[in-house]
Amino acid sequence: MKVTISRYDPVTGEQPHFVEYDVSVNTAARVLNVLDAVRDTIDPTFAYRHCCRGGQCGSCAVRVNGEPVLACMQEAHEGDVIEPLDLPRIRDLITDIAPVMAQIAWLNGGSECPEVRQADIDDIKPLRECIECYSCISSCPAISASDFKGPTIMRQEQRLNLDPRDNADRILEAIDKGLFSCTTCRKCVEVCPKDIDTPRKAIEKLRSEAMKRGLSLPAHKALASLIEKTGRSIERKETTFLEQVADVIEPEGEVRATIGFFVGCMFNGRVIQPALDAIELLRLNGIRVIIPKDQVCCGSPLIRTGFVGFIPELQKRNIDAFVKAGVDTVLTMCAGCGATLKNDYDTPFRVVDITEFLCEIGFKAPSKVAGTYTYHDPCHLLRGQGISKQPRILLESVAEKFVEMPARCCGAGGGVKSGQPEEAAKIGAVRAEMVKKTGADYIVTVCPFCEFHLHQVTGLPVKNIATLMMEGHRK
Amino acid sequence: MGIENTSDCHVLVIGSGGAGIRAAVEAENFGETIIVSKTITGKGGCTVMAEGGINAVLKDTDSIQAHFEDTMSGGAYLNDEDLVRTLTSEVPDRIRDLFTWGAVFDLAKDNCIAQRPFGGQRCARTCYAGDHTGHEIVMTLLEKLRSSSVTIENEVTVLDLLSDGEKVNGAITCDREGNLGLITADAVILATGGAGQVYDTTTNSTAGTGDGYALGYRAGAQLIDMEQVQFHPTGAVTPYDSRGRLITEAVRGEGGVLKNALGERFMEKYDPKRMELSTRDVVSRSIATEVLEGRDTEHGGVWLDVSHLPREQIESRLPIMLNQFLQFGVDIRTQPMEVAPTAHHFMGGLKITPDTLTTVPHLFAAGEVAGGVHGGNRLGGNALAETQVFGRRAGLSAGKCKRTARNIDDKQIKAAEDKLNSFYKGSTKTADVRQSMKMIMWNNVGIYRNELDLRVAERGIEKLQNTPLKISSSRELSDAVITENMLLVAKLVIEGALLRRESRGAHTRTDVKQTWTNADSPFGHTFFVKGKSGIEILENRL
Repeated sequence: MKVTISRYDPVTGEQPHFVEYDVSVNTAARVLNVLDAVRDTIDPTFAYRHCCRGGQCGSCAVRVNGEPVLACMQEAHEGDVIEPLDLPRIRDLITDIAPVMAQIAWLNGGSECPEVRQADIDDIKPLRECIECYSCISSCPAISASDFKGPTIMRQEQRLNLDPRDNADRILEAIDKGLFSCTTCRKCVEVCPKDIDTPRKAIEKLRSEAMKRGLSLPAHKALASLIEKTGRSIERKETTFLEQVADVIEPEGEVRATIGFFVGCMFNGRVIQPALDAIELLRLNGIRVIIPKDQVCCGSPLIRTGFVGFIPELQKRNIDAFVKAGVDTVLTMCAGCGATLKNDYDTPFRVVDITEFLCEIGFKAPSKVAGTYTYHDPCHLLRGQGISKQPRILLESVAEKFVEMPARCCGAGGGVKSGQPEEAAKIGAVRAEMVKKTGADYIVTVCPFCEFHLHQVTGLPVKNIATLMMEGHRK
Repeated sequence: MGIENTSDCHVLVIGSGGAGIRAAVEAENFGETIIVSKTITGKGGCTVMAEGGINAVLKDTDSIQAHFEDTMSGGAYLNDEDLVRTLTSEVPDRIRDLFTWGAVFDLAKDNCIAQRPFGGQRCARTCYAGDHTGHEIVMTLLEKLRSSSVTIENEVTVLDLLSDGEKVNGAITCDREGNLGLITADAVILATGGAGQVYDTTTNSTAGTGDGYALGYRAGAQLIDMEQVQFHPTGAVTPYDSRGRLITEAVRGEGGVLKNALGERFMEKYDPKRMELSTRDVVSRSIATEVLEGRDTEHGGVWLDVSHLPREQIESRLPIMLNQFLQFGVDIRTQPMEVAPTAHHFMGGLKITPDTLTTVPHLFAAGEVAGGVHGGNRLGGNALAETQVFGRRAGLSAGKCKRTARNIDDKQIKAAEDKLNSFYKGSTKTADVRQSMKMIMWNNVGIYRNELDLRVAERGIEKLQNTPLKISSSRELSDAVITENMLLVAKLVIEGALLRRESRGAHTRTDVKQTWTNADSPFGHTFFVKGKSGIEILENRL
C-alpha cells in the first residue's frame, strides 16, 4: 500500500515535507498499522503517538486526507495522505498538546460528597466520553480567530457545571475561555470519535445559563428583545416577503406536490429577492406553495445564543401556523431555519430543504449560465442537516463551470457576526482565501447569513441557489 | 558523567495508569512528587482501556468476607491472603474517593452506585460507568492530578533504577529524543502495569511491555508467580490487525452467551453452574478446547452473542463494544461477535507487603506490576480495585519514607551509558526481535503448556537475548531498552511455567498429572530474584 506521510524534524532545519511510502499491510489494516509498518520496516525514527489501539486513549489522532481521525480505528486506503493534527508541531506526527491539556478544567470539590442522582449522571454522561484526542481543537475555525480555547474545553466546563460535586463558577470561567466565540458550525461534532455534541450539549447550555445571569453579549440581548417584541430577528424597513405574496401560489401545469413555505427572517425582511426567486422556481417545477402568514422567527438566533425562554412560544406559533395550513411538508430555504426546525422542533410535519426537495421529486433543467461558480457549504446545511450533494446537483445543472471547494465555516453563525464581528471577519478572511484559490467568479450558497457575510469578506457576488436556477430558466 | 538533565523529588512514581496516578496524588501530601510516563499521562496504562468495572462491597446483602472468599477461590488459593484482605476491605473507601472526586459511575434507581454481576462472584459486585469504567476512573484521577502540585513528565522512559547499595534512590531516564536524564528520589514507586505485549495476541496497549518487572528484577527485587498469565476469554479475532482487542466481560455480565460453530452453548459441558460467568481461566480453557477440537468458527474462534438482548440495553450498557464492532462492519445488536482468548493480565509480579514495599528498601510497587493479589487467576473487576487500593497505599508508604542524603553511584550511570552506546554496534532491529518473541510466546507459552514446548520457548528467548539489538539513532534508545525488558519478562514467564509442575489458575500443564486440588496444593509461589529462581514447597502439605 502506498501512502504519503508528512515528515518533519526540527533538528535538520528542513521544512515539513511529504514522503511517499510503500509498505505491505494486512487486509482491513488501520492507518496505525501502516504507520507501524513504516517504522518497523523503513524508518525506526519515524515518530507518532499510539497506545491502546482500540479508540479509547486518544493518543493517535492524525489527519488523513485533511480530516482528523484516530489512526487505530480508521481503515487505511491506497493513496492516503497522513499529516499531524493542526497543532504546534514537535516532530513528524507528534504535536504539542500540553497547552491544550493545561486548559482542561478539573473538579473543584469539597471533602464531603453531596448527593448525586442518576438524572445528574444521565446529563453528564454525553459530555464525559471525551478521550482528549484533540481532533476538535485541530479543526475548530474559531480558535485561531479569537480567544476561544476550543470545543473540548467548553465540554469540560459544562460537564463540571452539571455536577453537584463541583463548587466553581463555570459560567464565568467559560466566558473567560471564549464561550461566545463558537460559531456552532459543528465541525467538532463531525470529527469527534465519540460523537460528542459540544455545541448543543455544552455551548448552547452554558450560554443559556449566562443569559439567565445577564451575562450575554449586548448584541445578543438586543436581538432577543427584538424577537420577543416583533417575532422577527430583522427590523421591518421595507415591505416584507410575507406582505407581498399570496397565501397560496398555484404552479404552472400539473400539481406535482404541495408544500408549506417557511421563509425565515432574513429572506422575509432583508434579502427578499431570493425568496421570490424560490417561489418562482417551485412554481415552475409544479409545486403548489402555501405560505401561512402567521409564521414567525424559527428561534435559531435565540437558541444559538442561549435565549431559550421564548423558544416554546415561537415553536408553538410556527407549528400551529403550518398545521392550520394543512400541509404535511414544510420547505425551508435558509440552512439555519431548516436545521432548527429539524433538530430543535418536534414537528407533526416533515421539514425539507429546498435543494433536498427539488432533487427528491426531480426538477426542470435550466439553461446554463455563464461564469465559474463555486459552492459554499453552509454549516447548518452540511452538518446541521447532512445535505451536501443536492445543492451541487442543482448547481452543476445550471453553472457553465463549477469548481469544488472544501467545506469550512465562514464565521457568521452562532451569533458571532452580531456579537463578535472582528472574529467573524477573521474566520471569513480564511474562507475568502479558499474562495480565491478556486478562481471562481461567483459563490453560490443556501444560507442568507453565509450569503451576506461571504459577500462582505470576498467582495465577490454571492448568489442564492434559487436565484441562480431562475437566471437559467429566464434565459 | 554526561547527564545534564537532572531533577530531584521526594517520591518518584513510574507509570501513569490507575495505580500510578492514584499513588502520585497520595504521595504529594508528603512532599514533592514526580510522575513519569513513557506515554502521555493517563493514556498509557491499561486502566484507561478497562471496560467492565471495579469490584467493591457496597451493600448489606454482600460482605467483605464474601469478596475475600470469591477472590481467593477464583485465584486458585495462590493469592497472598493479607493482600486480599487489604484489597477487599479497602476498596469500598476507594470507590468513595473516586466518587467524591467526580467519577461518573452509573447509579441504580435508589441513586446508589449500580453494580453488575461478573464472573466468579456470588453477587452483583462490579461498579461501572457504561463499558468505559477504566476511562472514567482515569479521567477522574487526571482531574485530581491536574489540580495537584505533582510534576508530570510525559514521554519519558525509565531505563534503570538507581541504588546507593542499600536502597533505591532514583532512576535513569531517557526522553523522546534519547537524551538521558536523572531523577533522584527518597522513594520510588513502580506502577508500570503488565506485559501482555510479550505475546502476539493481547488486549494490552502498546505500553504493556512489563518494564517494571525488569526494572525491579535488575534492582534486585523478588518477583513471584510470573507464569500466571491470564488469557481473557474474549478477544477479537478479525480483522487480523485487531486480533486480541478486548471484548469486555461486561458483555457476558449483561447476558451474552457463548456458542461454538455448531451453535452449541458449550459452557454447559465445562461449568454448567456458572456457565458464561465462570472464572476467566475456565472460560478461556473451554474456548481453547472447542477450537482445538475443531468446533471453531472460520477465524479460529467461537461466537459471543448478545443479539437476544434488548437493543436499548446494548446501546446504553455496551456503547463502546457496539461502536468498535460497527467500525469493523459487525452490528452486535443483530450479529454475534467472533472471539478467542487473548493475553490479558499478569497475576504475578513484584512481591509486596500490604504496604506495597518490595524486597528492596524504598522501592514500592502497585497495580499489575505487583504480584500476589490475584493468585493464579484474577476476577474481572479486581484489577481496577487493585490499582486504587494499592496505588493509594504505595503513595502513603513511599511518602512516609525518610528523607536521606543523595548518594549517586556514578558507576551505575557509566554502566548505563556504556550499555546504551553498545546498541549502536548491534546487528538486529528491535522490531524483528519483538516479532519473534511474540510468536514464540504465543505458540509455546499459551493457555495449554507442556515441558517440551516450554523448552523450545526457553531456547528461543535465550537466543534472542543473545542477539545484539541495533539502533541507528538515540531516538530508538528507549525502544531497545524496552525490548530487552520484554525478553527478560518472557524468560521469567517460561521459567515459572517450567517450575510450576501443576495446573493451577491460568497456568495449565498438560504434561503433569496431579492428585491435589487448588486448596491443598503442596506448591506456593514461584519466585525469581537476580540469578535465582524456585518454587515454594509447603512442607505440611507434602
